[in-house]
Amino acid sequence: MSNDTILSVEDIRETLKKMKEGVKQQPGLMKSTYRYLDAVSGYVERVANAKDEGAWVATHGTQQPLEILEAMDVRGVFNEFWGVVSDIARLESVPEAMSVSASLGTPGEVCSFFRNMDGLMHVGKWPRSDMFLYAASVCDNVKAFHTLGRRYGIPSFGLERSFLPYTGHAIEFWKNEYLRLIAFLEEQTGKKMDYDRLKDVVAKSYRLTELHLEIDRLVANVPCPLAPECFSATLVAIRCWPGTQYGIDFLTEVRDELQERVNNGVGAIENERFRVLWSTFTPFFDPKLMGFMQQKYGAVSVADMLSTWRVDENVQANWMLDPDDPLGNLAYRTVLAPGNCQYSTGVDVGTVLSGKCRRFKVDAAIFQNNWGCKTGAGYGPVIKDELMRQVKVPTLTLHSDILDHTFISRAEIEGQMDSFFEMVEASKTYQERRAVA
Amino acid sequence: MNALKALTEMQRLTSPFPESVAVKEWKATGRKVIGWFNPYIPEEIIHAAGMLPFEVTGDNEPVQMQGAEAHIYANSCSKVRTCWQMALDDKYSFLDGYVSTHMCDQDMRLYEVWSYYKKLPFMELIYAPRKRTEEAVQLYGTDLDRFRDRLSEYLICRIPDHRVANSIEVYNRGRELMMQLYELRKRDRPPVTGAEAVEVSKAAARMPRERFNELMEQLLDEIERSGREIKKARRLMLIGNDLHNTTQITALESADAVVVVDEMDVGIRRAWGQVDTTLPPIEALARYYLLGRPVDKHHWNSDGRLEFIGDMAEQYNVDGVVSQAVRFCTYLGWDKFDLKQQMQERGIPMLELDLEYGHPGGAQVQIRAEAFLEMLESHAAPAS
Repeated sequence: MSNDTILSVEDIRETLKKMKEGVKQQPGLMKSTYRYLDAVSGYVERVANAKDEGAWVATHGTQQPLEILEAMDVRGVFNEFWGVVSDIARLESVPEAMSVSASLGTPGEVCSFFRNMDGLMHVGKWPRSDMFLYAASVCDNVKAFHTLGRRYGIPSFGLERSFLPYTGHAIEFWKNEYLRLIAFLEEQTGKKMDYDRLKDVVAKSYRLTELHLEIDRLVANVPCPLAPECFSATLVAIRCWPGTQYGIDFLTEVRDELQERVNNGVGAIENERFRVLWSTFTPFFDPKLMGFMQQKYGAVSVADMLSTWRVDENVQANWMLDPDDPLGNLAYRTVLAPGNCQYSTGVDVGTVLSGKCRRFKVDAAIFQNNWGCKTGAGYGPVIKDELMRQVKVPTLTLHSDILDHTFISRAEIEGQMDSFFEMVEASKTYQERRAVA
Repeated sequence: MNALKALTEMQRLTSPFPESVAVKEWKATGRKVIGWFNPYIPEEIIHAAGMLPFEVTGDNEPVQMQGAEAHIYANSCSKVRTCWQMALDDKYSFLDGYVSTHMCDQDMRLYEVWSYYKKLPFMELIYAPRKRTEEAVQLYGTDLDRFRDRLSEYLICRIPDHRVANSIEVYNRGRELMMQLYELRKRDRPPVTGAEAVEVSKAAARMPRERFNELMEQLLDEIERSGREIKKARRLMLIGNDLHNTTQITALESADAVVVVDEMDVGIRRAWGQVDTTLPPIEALARYYLLGRPVDKHHWNSDGRLEFIGDMAEQYNVDGVVSQAVRFCTYLGWDKFDLKQQMQERGIPMLELDLEYGHPGGAQVQIRAEAFLEMLESHAAPAS
């Protein structure tokens, strides 16, 4: 079997560099697009250069207190991000890596973030990793970290987090898990945690949260000032650059540009017909789909679940409870944070997203039922029903695979979207909402 | 082969499924039934509340999906969808409550869908830790105490320690008796088939445990007195997801083979070990349920599970292992590669079956079982 199509770290690095240069020539994009691609490629650079720079590398999943890694000079490889960036660089790579995974006996029904990692590890194209870090109450697939760690001789550490994290004993347990994580990292790296540095990193991370929420308020404007090419800017900052000055500078630039666009009444498109919420993730498997939706339907993506802080009118993301207790702050932060807080009940997620629908003036939602995701398969219908019950927002359910573009064709999606947006436009609720606007 | 009278009585009491003779008799006295879904729910706490713990499962008849997939999409475990379909069909309308754990995403989502679309008077979710550590025992123990509190509130009566301790004694006795049956299956000619053994284990979670224990004693006595033997050439071990439709096991055993041991929650894990009666009861339960039983698929570190399978295969002197996995079981999916390697290293042949939960054992299973047995024959035959 040829593995030529499968991207190596070097391939991704080179492709992103070219893309970054390419956007300089493209007219009509947001100014922040270059900076956004810089943040994406900078993350890959950090991973690619880690060995030469004597840094440790940890491949990890969600729910991780990344600030602890930052404070200990451990560079993260977020396995989900690696799948997404592979799709950005070359769509054919992921299906090929997953076919390698299948040849090892890994069933096709498990999550493609992990099947992609499985395949890449087998062909030696996964970033060199000194350790694996993962957490419970994320999804059952995190078991793969232990399994693959054992197979390839990579030490791993799992954080236990109760599914019900807000009780006193559960949050205390979660915080203590961080102490155990730090002990593991100290053992692996031979370095001691510098708690003063951690406080500084945590403070920077909190600033990033504030910037994220400021950007959310700007994006909620009509017309929506955020264009698809920068849609994931906040998520990239929060998930790839937490606790860093780079992350703060990046989001400051994005915020300033959005403010300018709001001041000048500049929207993602001229005629905004539908404001869309992605009630799970955005279409990673088809990076151009959001642009297509804007052009064909006037449907602007204004919000998604993945870049959502667990906030509403009553709960704010003020996770900095005590500046002198960085671990306590982080324990709270990780359960509120984007990409983490959705590991909750469907009613809770539906309620948080309903609040988002109100604030972002959403007309329609799209729920991607990711083939390998049992969480989504189990709570998608509840979220759909809650969005309708609480804010009368209808949902299109797309049965897709989060990374694999061969799972559902663009033509199939287009057919479903044609009838969905037609239905939304004809609905009484939509017409009433538009009349008010 | 004569039918076992005690097993026949267990099956009479637990039929029709699920609202059986035993359930109707129980409810007729005004007492409550609490459904539970996975093996991290200590039945002892429900028992101590004077309620009947009842395991929510499918059974030997396949269930037609007619609506379940509107609430739980088809790319999820068919056991979960089967149980939800049964709830939609009002098969579980006799339940007063339902309790589950976040042992896997899908168990948790079944709980949620039930709670959202068809809420019962009592509903509770407990977190089942992935680690087997002292800290995890503390976390789980606190959740179990909270479960007892919530059940006490529902009952409007405190469930005191001494009643939990008493229930532990009852369940320990049941485990002891079930383990005796497993020991008998180590014989060259085991006294029961694999399908019968699972029927016994199913009954344990579907009827009052005191009555079950009496019938277990009768069953063991009957086996000893009758000298019952299953005469089959090959000994098999069954591992993977729970098989509540025993026609699938019967299909395997229709060839010249008998299942002598398993690794299922509905099998040996239900019989394994004893709760420590010298500890405070809730702590003892937390310790037993988390640490006292063999490592299972939901633990991150599956090394112990794979070792357990290998050890049992050797202790029960099996010729081969049948590994069955229900589609969309993420945990078993990630164990596949290492399981295969472990079995190869130990020289134990393995048949892998991908099944849909609840489907009847048909020709497909039989044909594969026959081919596997032929392979075992050639494996065992001396080189000419």
